[in-house]
Amino acid sequence: MWVWFSKLGSPKWFYELSGKWLPWLITAMVIFMTIGLVWGLLFLPPDYQQGFTSRILIVHVAVAGTSLAFFPLMFVAGTITLVWRMKLADMVAKNAAILGAWFSFITLATGSLWGSVMWGTWWEWTDSRLVSMLFQLFLLLGVISLRSALEDSDTAAKACALLSIVGCINVVIIKYSVEWWNTLHQVSSPVNMDASSPNGPEFWIATLIMIVAVYLFLSVSLILSTRNEILERERKSQWVQDLVLKS
Amino acid sequence: MLDAIQFSSFAEFVDMGGYGFNVWSVYALFAIFVAVNLILPLRKKQKIIRQLKRRLTLDAEIQSEDDSNSDQAQ
Repeated sequence: MWVWFSKLGSPKWFYELSGKWLPWLITAMVIFMTIGLVWGLLFLPPDYQQGFTSRILIVHVAVAGTSLAFFPLMFVAGTITLVWRMKLADMVAKNAAILGAWFSFITLATGSLWGSVMWGTWWEWTDSRLVSMLFQLFLLLGVISLRSALEDSDTAAKACALLSIVGCINVVIIKYSVEWWNTLHQVSSPVNMDASSPNGPEFWIATLIMIVAVYLFLSVSLILSTRNEILERERKSQWVQDLVLKS
Repeated sequence: MLDAIQFSSFAEFVDMGGYGFNVWSVYALFAIFVAVNLILPLRKKQKIIRQLKRRLTLDAEIQSEDDSNSDQAQ
């Protein structure tokens, strides 16, 4: 277990292993994305109240749900960096913050585009779900600027790990905000096997496929940017130089 | 399976039951989001490799010049 763990921390080992995973992950991502998008745009029936705006929700729910994974991921990576001094975990945490900000932004934008026709408003400051999601975006932007400001990577790692704890608490708030405070944003619809119900299999299976597709996309994008980070940070090492000369 | 498609014409498909602007904006935004976060890291990788390669070949040239200079000095 420990051999495996320290091996996983080696950037070279991760670079080689992720190179083998990538083609499979990309293939799976393309398949799920295609099924999800074609289903969403062509086959998903209109909701009895929302009409075709329900098609916005399969994208919105998938991106929003996945965006909650970033702070827990950054917290785990930050802890590994601080406790075991694993460089790789720090690289993952750095790139996760950037991708996470994208996810949070797309969540807010797609939500706005839905709300503007279904709620009649683009934004509502009194809604806890909306505001806590905006807070997550600002927190991630804070982490990104902190990293670029603190050149000392050890201090940066510590500060970002601390912010990740705040981010994790906020994730819990985002998740339960719709139940704790009853404002504008609706609670998540329970999965229902009955095809005639508003959230029947036609809808939630499409959402599930989009969630898998978005998680695969997250993995692919994060692996790609982490590999770039490895190449840059390890550019002096022999294996990177060999790899560059071979390409 | 094809009769499960919700539209009978392309215009209907674009219109999305009157919500065309919102639905298509969301899917366009999503497409841009996915494309940008895949293409940018891929292009960055090419750039890193190109720069490293240039530096390595330059280093190798300087090294070989140094070698030939020290040969002449002897």
